[in-house]
Amino acid sequence: MAVSATNWADEVDGEDQPQTFTDANGITTTIEYRTNEDGKKVKVTRRTQKKLIHDVVNKAVAARKKWPKFGKEKGNRPGPDPATTNVGDNIKLKLSSTGDVVQDVDEKHEAMKAQLQNKKILCRICKGDHFTTKCPYKDSLGMEDAAAAPAAAAEEAAPEEQQSGSKYIAPHMRAGASGTKGGDRDSIREKRDEQPTLRVTNLSEDVTEADVSELFKRFGHISRVFLARDRETNACKGFAFVSFTMREDAQRALEAIDGRGYDNLILRVEWAR
Amino acid sequence: MRPILLQGHERSLTQIKYNREGDLLFSVSKDHVVNAWFSHNGERLGTYEGHIGAVWTVDVNSSSTLLISGSADNTAKLWDVSNGKCLKSWEFNTAVRCVQFSEDDKLVLLVTEPRMGFPATLQIFNVENVSSEPVHNFNPEGPKITVAAWGALNRYIVAGRENGSVALIDPKTGECVSTNKVHELTLTDLQMSSDRTYFVTASKDKSAKILETESLEVLKTYTTDTPLNSAAIMPKHQEFVVVGGGQEAMDVTTTSSRQGKFECRFWHKILEEEVGRVRGHFGPINTIAIHPDGRSFASGGEDGYVRVHHFDDDFFTFKFQI
Repeated sequence: MAVSATNWADEVDGEDQPQTFTDANGITTTIEYRTNEDGKKVKVTRRTQKKLIHDVVNKAVAARKKWPKFGKEKGNRPGPDPATTNVGDNIKLKLSSTGDVVQDVDEKHEAMKAQLQNKKILCRICKGDHFTTKCPYKDSLGMEDAAAAPAAAAEEAAPEEQQSGSKYIAPHMRAGASGTKGGDRDSIREKRDEQPTLRVTNLSEDVTEADVSELFKRFGHISRVFLARDRETNACKGFAFVSFTMREDAQRALEAIDGRGYDNLILRVEWAR
Repeated sequence: MRPILLQGHERSLTQIKYNREGDLLFSVSKDHVVNAWFSHNGERLGTYEGHIGAVWTVDVNSSSTLLISGSADNTAKLWDVSNGKCLKSWEFNTAVRCVQFSEDDKLVLLVTEPRMGFPATLQIFNVENVSSEPVHNFNPEGPKITVAAWGALNRYIVAGRENGSVALIDPKTGECVSTNKVHELTLTDLQMSSDRTYFVTASKDKSAKILETESLEVLKTYTTDTPLNSAAIMPKHQEFVVVGGGQEAMDVTTTSSRQGKFECRFWHKILEEEVGRVRGHFGPINTIAIHPDGRSFASGGEDGYVRVHHFDDDFFTFKFQI
């Protein structure tokens, strides 16, 4: 017996018949039922209103409407082609005598700004009121400042030595250390994988692991750098994973390097999934 | 109003023009393409193929039978509007920046740029008996002419220059009859009123001005906050001037560039007050044209889109409250 795609319980319903009816205002409503890609039954209601507009035009204008199309449009049917012609979103042209024409700045932008007014964003590089990544002086001031900047993180949980990032930190003392229990090999390896890892993309072809670790080590101690290489040519595939020891270091690195130019490409840094 | 987006170009628009009845809209762009559209619904009528360089300028005659386009490939071509055939191609030494039919459709003025030792020329061709030789070929002195237009009754040619001055040129002798320095930076557009007794100029110095043709006297000034690339006069229904432009270089905040913030600004022509803006373009607005019946207008931008807007009813009932 053939197994039908639709559930037998769904079949044979009274409402399944496609209908068309027109109401008093001349609006034609067409209801039909389809199955969409996910296999779900979909009810499509189309309301159309046809208005016949009589327009008196110049004879020449009417004649031009009948011209066959030419050039790239040769052979096309009458009527606008969606490849070249679309209708945009509704725009209100508000005419006002008062001169307050610059209305409607993007509301989301405004709301964001208002929210942040109270929080006092401070750029770490130039102390302006914008995010560090959006700083206009990122390249010039950013270099010196990143090296000297203290950790901006709110949590002071980790002790001083760990934040400087230059001292070696034993595995069981690093962030993500599971404590006295679970000290065996597997969990340590697991901990390494759970370490704060960033994915850097849009690297240029001749970047090496050394370059990547040079670039990132100033933010903190790096436990691992993995650079994706092409198997045959050994050129960099454009992305790399950098695992930091401390999560705050990774956070600072993310904020400072994301959007920063390196070897003529703008790097993108995200948390690795 | 819902603008109709015409996506027939892959590079920035350089000029758009309506024909006399307004049912056809011609658009040209840096991508070598000349498009013809029906303005009421945005349907494309066809393309005129043949240019191999950026097309800077286009004009159509009053009977919508001939189309002329000027391009950076050092040619100007005359086309049959109805079927896209190229009727004549004129070769020059340098790129053609501006073309315009005269009011009686008999003559065409043509401005070529100065480049590589070749001087700028202002040429007048006869299109009734189409010949390869111009009726006049003038070498105007002075700063480069960027825009030009015929005055009323072919008495003068008005030319806008790179240094912000406007000149009146006698079409029979090529002599510059009078000059007036009205802008600080180059003129980007010059559009005549319907009777050609006055015209509007747009300039990179962020202002647009209305000048009287015969005297070159400045009648009105509209100062905006952005370099203007185009200006047009509303022929009917409302005493407005529409201007548009935009900054090429973006400032630090990136939100502005993405969200279609480039606007066509509407100014009251007499009272010199801004009354409204229409946004939507994703790049600076390069060219504006208003439908001859004053019920719609179109704008072409750096983003390659032409947006045709048909005004809502409330546009026509607006009265400026002093």
